[in-house]
Amino acid sequence: MRDVAIIGCAMTKFGRLEGKDLMDILVEASLKAIEDAGVGDKEFDAVYVGNMMAGELAHQTAIASALVDRIALFPAAADRVENGPASGASAVKNGFLAIASGLADLVLVAGGEKMTSADTDVITDLVATMTHPTAEYVHGVTLPALAAMLTRLYMERYGLTERHLAMVAVKNHANGLKNPYAHIQRAITIEGAMGSQLIADPLRLYYTCPISDGAAAVVLCPADDAKKYCDTPVRIAGVGQATDVQSVHEREDPAVLKSVRLAARKAFEMAKLEPKDIDVVELHDAFEILEIVQSEDCGFFEKGKGHIAVEEGVTALDGELPINPSGGLKARGHPVGATGVAQIVELVWQLRGEAGERQVKGAERALACNFGGFGNNTVIHILERMD
Amino acid sequence: MNQRLTGFKCKSCGRVMYPKHERCLSCKGTSMGEVELGDQCTLITYTKLYTLPEGIEMPPLTLGIVDFGGGVRAFGQIATDEPKMGMKLRPVWGKLRRLGDKDIYGFKFEPVESG
Repeated sequence: MRDVAIIGCAMTKFGRLEGKDLMDILVEASLKAIEDAGVGDKEFDAVYVGNMMAGELAHQTAIASALVDRIALFPAAADRVENGPASGASAVKNGFLAIASGLADLVLVAGGEKMTSADTDVITDLVATMTHPTAEYVHGVTLPALAAMLTRLYMERYGLTERHLAMVAVKNHANGLKNPYAHIQRAITIEGAMGSQLIADPLRLYYTCPISDGAAAVVLCPADDAKKYCDTPVRIAGVGQATDVQSVHEREDPAVLKSVRLAARKAFEMAKLEPKDIDVVELHDAFEILEIVQSEDCGFFEKGKGHIAVEEGVTALDGELPINPSGGLKARGHPVGATGVAQIVELVWQLRGEAGERQVKGAERALACNFGGFGNNTVIHILERMD
Repeated sequence: MNQRLTGFKCKSCGRVMYPKHERCLSCKGTSMGEVELGDQCTLITYTKLYTLPEGIEMPPLTLGIVDFGGGVRAFGQIATDEPKMGMKLRPVWGKLRRLGDKDIYGFKFEPVESG
């Protein structure tokens, strides 16, 4: 396998993007990433597009071919990649594989979703269709309900309180305020969060991510070629993906995100690194409980101690291990197909030292965790600055 | 209606699964027989859902995971507004929701009177 580098990256602003459709935002992010990569009009060998709901929401299918058409990347191979909310990271992984295998020398990966034009209940239902059709979906399950049941297990077993969820939300909003691309750029308070509307007891509105539009893109090439295009390339040092049983009730322990554990283990083994080597992290906080649980199951904190790390400020922007400097899904927003790519864009900026006010000083290695289904398909990337 | 909530027992290794898998999660065996999951289960976690999916009209909807013992669990609606961790429940057949223009029936879980 060849080493793979990220030589360009970009994203649109996340939020309610009026007057732009899904293809418009995929085009915007892709063109900016190609420009950032400095590859000029060099031919791309392959394009991967992470997206979950174009067929349902935009009434458009085969969007990877459509993207090639809009930005004249013929005759590049083009595939749409769907893995629920982890579609973005799955697309990046496919791009990695294409370069690593030697099949391609220049790859564009884009991820995007246009969600705000649909009603919230339509989105909630579409997302719920990821669950088991007969054992979960028909009973009325929603993703917030699954997150709420995980939260209650954590409260019972590990002494997590609602206040910890509010603390994660406050931290991520504070980070989002420093991210011009974030959907929500507004500080919130613990009291404000704890006074927000109950969605799925004990989960409140402020412990869940918003519904957003947005796109993000990266350009990949062999690490050996990277310096030709880019002064500060970032190497994809580790990739890990793992699945788990679909129904949450059927997992060995419903309080453990086993797919996160296994994906992290694989990524760390491949990168020959350990959790203590990581300087900055992007986790999939579609619900604030998930940031805490993933921080443990990735190996950064002991099981049941993630909320203590939040309490002690370890995961704050100026802490020992900043988590979600971008604002996370909570504040940057969660256009599902874009999220996994946007996590990597944020970390590339962090590793290049281009993250502005939210820069984690001296960051050299980073980890991104993109979580599909309700944790039955997780993709983790470990990135390293190439010097 | 005298329906019973059924799981699927692997004929090779004896593992009971719910829902059905075409290969056993433990031994990959492909031969399964139906088994009743029984009348007694325990609530291990729950939520009261206020933002309801289509076809369920009255919030909150209580949802939970129940444990039948031996590593066998199920998810479903909990027929009480006062759920408690560890409470004893039993499966009962009933209407779950409307979906499209159809009424959906299935098992939910109701509290067993103590004593």
